[in-house]
Amino acid sequence: MSQIELRHVDKSFGAVGVCHDINLTVEEGEFVTLLGSSGCGKTTTLNMVAGLEDPSKGDILIGGRRVNDLSPVQRDVAMVFQNYALYPHMTVAENLGFTLKMRKMAKPQIAERVAAVAASLELTPLLERLPSALSGGQQQRVAIGRALVREPRVFLFDEPFSNLDASLRVKMRAEVKQLHQQLGVTTLFVTHDQEEAMSISDRIAVLNRGKVEQFGTPEEIYSRPATRYVARFIGNPQIDLVPGELEPGADGAVLRLAGVALTLPDFVPPPGAGPAVEVGVRPEHVRLTEAGIPAKVQLVQPVGAATHVVLGWEGGDLIASVPGFVHLSVGAAIHFEIDPRHVLVFDAQSGDRLM
Amino acid sequence: MSFASARSRDRGFRVLVVVGLILFVVWSAAPILWLIVSSLMQQQALIVQPPDFSLGNFTLENFTEVIVSAAALGRGILNSFIVALFSTAVALVIGAPAAYALARLAVPRANALAFLVLATQMLPGIAIAIPLFLVISRLGLIDNVLALGLVYLSFNLPIVIWILRGFFLAIPEGIEKAAAVDGAGVVGTFLHIVLPISIPPLGAAAVFAFVEAWNEFFFALILTRQDAQTVPLVIAQFAGQYQTLFGQMMAAAAISIAPVIALAIIFRNQIVRGFADGMMKG
Repeated sequence: MSQIELRHVDKSFGAVGVCHDINLTVEEGEFVTLLGSSGCGKTTTLNMVAGLEDPSKGDILIGGRRVNDLSPVQRDVAMVFQNYALYPHMTVAENLGFTLKMRKMAKPQIAERVAAVAASLELTPLLERLPSALSGGQQQRVAIGRALVREPRVFLFDEPFSNLDASLRVKMRAEVKQLHQQLGVTTLFVTHDQEEAMSISDRIAVLNRGKVEQFGTPEEIYSRPATRYVARFIGNPQIDLVPGELEPGADGAVLRLAGVALTLPDFVPPPGAGPAVEVGVRPEHVRLTEAGIPAKVQLVQPVGAATHVVLGWEGGDLIASVPGFVHLSVGAAIHFEIDPRHVLVFDAQSGDRLM
Repeated sequence: MSFASARSRDRGFRVLVVVGLILFVVWSAAPILWLIVSSLMQQQALIVQPPDFSLGNFTLENFTEVIVSAAALGRGILNSFIVALFSTAVALVIGAPAAYALARLAVPRANALAFLVLATQMLPGIAIAIPLFLVISRLGLIDNVLALGLVYLSFNLPIVIWILRGFFLAIPEGIEKAAAVDGAGVVGTFLHIVLPISIPPLGAAAVFAFVEAWNEFFFALILTRQDAQTVPLVIAQFAGQYQTLFGQMMAAAAISIAPVIALAIIFRNQIVRGFADGMMKG
């Protein structure tokens, strides 16, 4: 059993509250990511699971057992740090074997385990080198190896790829995901990179100012964000939010956006909601058409698989993501449509999603 | 600004730096050079105005005189070695864990404590000379090498703590967290991780402490009589009431600074790295 559970966890440093009432369960073998901007409390939360920080309130359970008072070693967790945190005076082999040495394992066994992990991570030719003689990617591999060699119950990753260049980051992401598929070890991963979180996780917990805004699968987080904050945080290019008004209609509701009326079929706004709302439209749900809402082309950004067209219209700016390359000149008059089935409606005051 | 003018400004700056460094080297090396030159000259040639630098006046006589006649110098060097080594070694053994505790462990009011440690160095020596003399003499430890070593330890410990604390604070915390997760407790982390990566600052602190003890004159003067005299006191005795044997005095001084210079050369890299690390981030 290696489920991780956080129950009503609070953390404050002096008068500064960092985490507020965090409740989270990482099921056995699951890969969960804590996602948020810097200062949202995600690393603090991870440190509390690792035993490097004590929660001010609440309980942390690993495998059903309360571990608040256990040291990191007793919790049987392994952690990969942001700056690799390799021991600079030890060779790769010594770095990998240090934790086993601390556990008083016999030397031949240590050598065996180190050799096995090194082979699986393609580190064998580097075993006698010092960390300073390794590239960033190699150092990261050693850091992961150091976590693997222990065969721990739980893996913790603290922004492990943030110091790598973009292409290496994508490669390491895939390696870690494959590793997780092979080993099936319960994993808690911290990142501020929403794309990384989307691509690697079984579930994502989006943190904002020390609170869990939403905890769900990548699809839920992307398609049905619980709050305006989550909607804005996830997705590239960012979702556009347009102020509007919600009115009850014949069947469902009518959404008024800068002179445009959208019928939302079968949608009954909850009591007390609106009328002031903010409407989120993902770029892929904006279609360029012959007739529809008039707009002007403001910017054309081809990114290869798609082209992002920034449209200026009465309601402000809106990005449309069009597959492939499109040839439009800036300033050209154009029309677009919004697919009402994919519109996200947020309460203007609370920021909660209504639809 | 064009690249060319940037480069020429760069060169101007470098010339300035080089000139400054030359001045600094002359400023610090001139006394040593003078010491060596005068240790190699006959007394008469040295005391005429201006000194007579003709080749015939150079001799090794001063050195042979000093080495053969003055058993006091040998004893002084031995005493200096004992007090310097003792006060340096013990300061490191006690100071390194203390500095680590003040840098990293949950010591209440660690900053205030560290400052208190430094504050002990703010008293002028003369202010504590009389109480210290009284304490040592009541204990019957006047003219005792170990007592002098203990006094030097009390001077060296705060310096060692401050140098090392600055360095320990600069160690990325991730490394220590990794060690904690890897199963090393506080002591294990200190011994296996922190100390091995702190060899440069340990070397720097050691050299600094050693030189301080080696050169100290004032407390050695009031706390020793004969048996425990250190090198600086022995050298001073060449200045007599009726005449000063400048050549011999300088020869003795040259012999006495040799170990310190050797130490500085051996640990040069450590000293530079140690001080640079500790000061920039400390």
